[in-house]
Amino acid sequence: MKDWKILFILVFAVIGFQACSDDDDPTPDPSPSLEAPGTYNFERNGQSTVSFSGQTTRIKMASELINAMKKFDSSSELLLEMYVNESASGGDVAPFSESDLNSSTKSIRSKVAASKDFFSANAAESSQIKADFESWINAQVSEVFPNENVLAEPGVAGQIADGSSVRYVNAKGLEYNQAVNKGLIGALMVDQMVNNYLSPAVLDDGNNVAENDDGILAEDKSYTTMEHKWDEAYGYLFGTSTNAANPLPTLGEDAFLNKYLQRVNGDPDFEGIAQDIFDAFKLGRAAIVAGDYQLRDEQAEIVRGLVSKVIGVRAVYYLQQGKNGLPDSGNDYGGAFHDLSEGFGFVYSLRFTRQPESSSSYFSKAEVDGFIQQLTEGNGFWDVTPATLDQISEAIASKFDFSLSQAAE
Amino acid sequence: MTRYITGILFIASLFIFSCSDSDGPEIQENEPFDRSQMLSSWADHFIIPGFESYAGELDELVSAKDAFIANPDVVSLNSLKSAWLDAYKSWQKVSMFDIGKAEEIGLRNFTNIYPADTDLINENITSGNFNLALPSNFDAQGFPALDYLLYGLSPDDSEIVTMLSQTNHAQYLDALIERLRTLGNEILNDWKGNYRDQFIQNDGSSATASVDKLVNDFLFYYEKYLRAGKIGIPAGVFSGGPISNSVEAPYSGIFSKDLFNIAFQSVQDFFNGRGYNGISGNSLDDYLKFTSNVNGTRDIASEIQSQWKSAEAKIEVLLPNFRDQVEQDNIKMLEAYDELQKAVVLLKVEMMQALNIRVDFVDADGD
Repeated sequence: MKDWKILFILVFAVIGFQACSDDDDPTPDPSPSLEAPGTYNFERNGQSTVSFSGQTTRIKMASELINAMKKFDSSSELLLEMYVNESASGGDVAPFSESDLNSSTKSIRSKVAASKDFFSANAAESSQIKADFESWINAQVSEVFPNENVLAEPGVAGQIADGSSVRYVNAKGLEYNQAVNKGLIGALMVDQMVNNYLSPAVLDDGNNVAENDDGILAEDKSYTTMEHKWDEAYGYLFGTSTNAANPLPTLGEDAFLNKYLQRVNGDPDFEGIAQDIFDAFKLGRAAIVAGDYQLRDEQAEIVRGLVSKVIGVRAVYYLQQGKNGLPDSGNDYGGAFHDLSEGFGFVYSLRFTRQPESSSSYFSKAEVDGFIQQLTEGNGFWDVTPATLDQISEAIASKFDFSLSQAAE
Repeated sequence: MTRYITGILFIASLFIFSCSDSDGPEIQENEPFDRSQMLSSWADHFIIPGFESYAGELDELVSAKDAFIANPDVVSLNSLKSAWLDAYKSWQKVSMFDIGKAEEIGLRNFTNIYPADTDLINENITSGNFNLALPSNFDAQGFPALDYLLYGLSPDDSEIVTMLSQTNHAQYLDALIERLRTLGNEILNDWKGNYRDQFIQNDGSSATASVDKLVNDFLFYYEKYLRAGKIGIPAGVFSGGPISNSVEAPYSGIFSKDLFNIAFQSVQDFFNGRGYNGISGNSLDDYLKFTSNVNGTRDIASEIQSQWKSAEAKIEVLLPNFRDQVEQDNIKMLEAYDELQKAVVLLKVEMMQALNIRVDFVDADGD
């Protein structure tokens, strides 16, 4: 009994003390001394605690899938095996050129539209999205491949000249490989990052907070589970970087989020966005080490906003490029279709963006479906008008803090 | 190719410029430059005689091809090679006119995309089943494919004759040359039909007006096909290292510099208004001098001309076969490239600003 009383008094005293200090200083800095390290390098007892091999694996799988979609001898079975990393009947398969990928139990599909925040109670939409990718993969083989040596025209899949190079499009002018490539940036990389691993629902899951506070490591690992979750978010952006601790000098190393962060960062209107994202990742990770979860979450919100912006900028960029490339005479549609195909994928990816300080995406499923419908109705890119492309571009830009013209070039 | 419009800012700045100029009395009194007359000169002294000459050389090429197929031997092969070279040279003078029917059908893509894809060419020959209208066959036809067939099948001419005498080879040779003539005639007939007048009457200054479009074509040709294609790419300017196999006409081995010189001379002649048959007319140099006189601004035309003289000096020292040059002393290729590049800045920025023409293309982002 006596012990209890003492404890009670102590607790009371602490609460009282905190209340007093709060009154004195209404805007306390929770960690005035915490500074972001120069690189994304974190160690415990001389051992690195950073790990995101699973993300690297999925980025590599997605790269192989994208490349295989451009080879006319790829069967739909092979492409689907790359997507699912198992056979149609659930058996083990080896569709990849890298043996590490074949032996992995991971797959692209299992993490498509699979974030905790957006899809854990939204299985219906998640399965629709997973199926969208499957249908694009299948259609590449069933619609485009048979027309390898056919000239594309409205309503007819086939090849089309883009300058002196060749693109292969469906009957609406869409390159399915671009739909998959750019669509995965949203459905896989961005969704997993901003709606899953950076979310308190994942970071603080189970005993993560207590374990992180007490320095209790994941089984057989050098890191706490919370540290690892944060790293997994980081890995979807920097998982294939040559030097992942200092990835910005070599930005542009994969065909997914990393590459397009580089592209947006290269636009003078958005210069510095890569550094801002990297800094927020570093500081958030340092905050986890210091047990400062408020600071962690502030950084997560910064990443959410900026990564979402990358998707928005790129969607507008390609729609505008496509608009400007539409021929005013003649039949030089190829360049425009290529841009619109990339734009299609980025528009699709908008569904997975995340507004900071909010539980919502920048665009609802219905809004994105509406854009896609506008782009693909009738003969799709063959008859989409500049006015429609401007209207969609405006609708996208207006949700972000950039203008159409800033994103357009 | 992605083409789009830049330069809204530039228009805005010109607007301001012309506002401040309107205080002076001279502007209103000046006759505007006669764009229509310049367009007539371009059509009648450059483009139409250029395509006429090109079509004539293609007729010769067809005759030489027919003679070779009827009687294949080393002598008829040599005649065919020489007709190929004449037509190829003649092409260098019209490649830049990528407007009208040429633009619509993508003439340049079907005529001179190199390096040729020899695997694809052999595949087409073996199967005997090919569609040269497909974009995927761009690099399996035209002059580069003929370079391979006439020079590259074997180091031994009599062996080449034997190979080209085989049914499928002869069929492919025939198809390539007939197609070049068909496309060349299609362009020429269009110009001789309605298109000449349409081209001249479209004498406004919008992005789709003839002057704006052809000047963009000229600039694009200079930058991508002359500077980059013929010199920069083989010299490795756009890659990790030199790619000596990507010179023009690599199998013949001796003509890359010749072809370049004709192309470069044609660019300069067009700019300076020196037409076919020695007929002169107004062209970009006159237009630039006109604007420079009216506005009291720099003489950009002379700057461009003198920059090209510097480039010529650097090109003169190059070996006849650019492949040898790249492999033996690539620095000289790079130096020639640099001089050509300096003119790009003058053309693309200074000239376009002076003429108030918007650049309608940019580099695609490569993905």
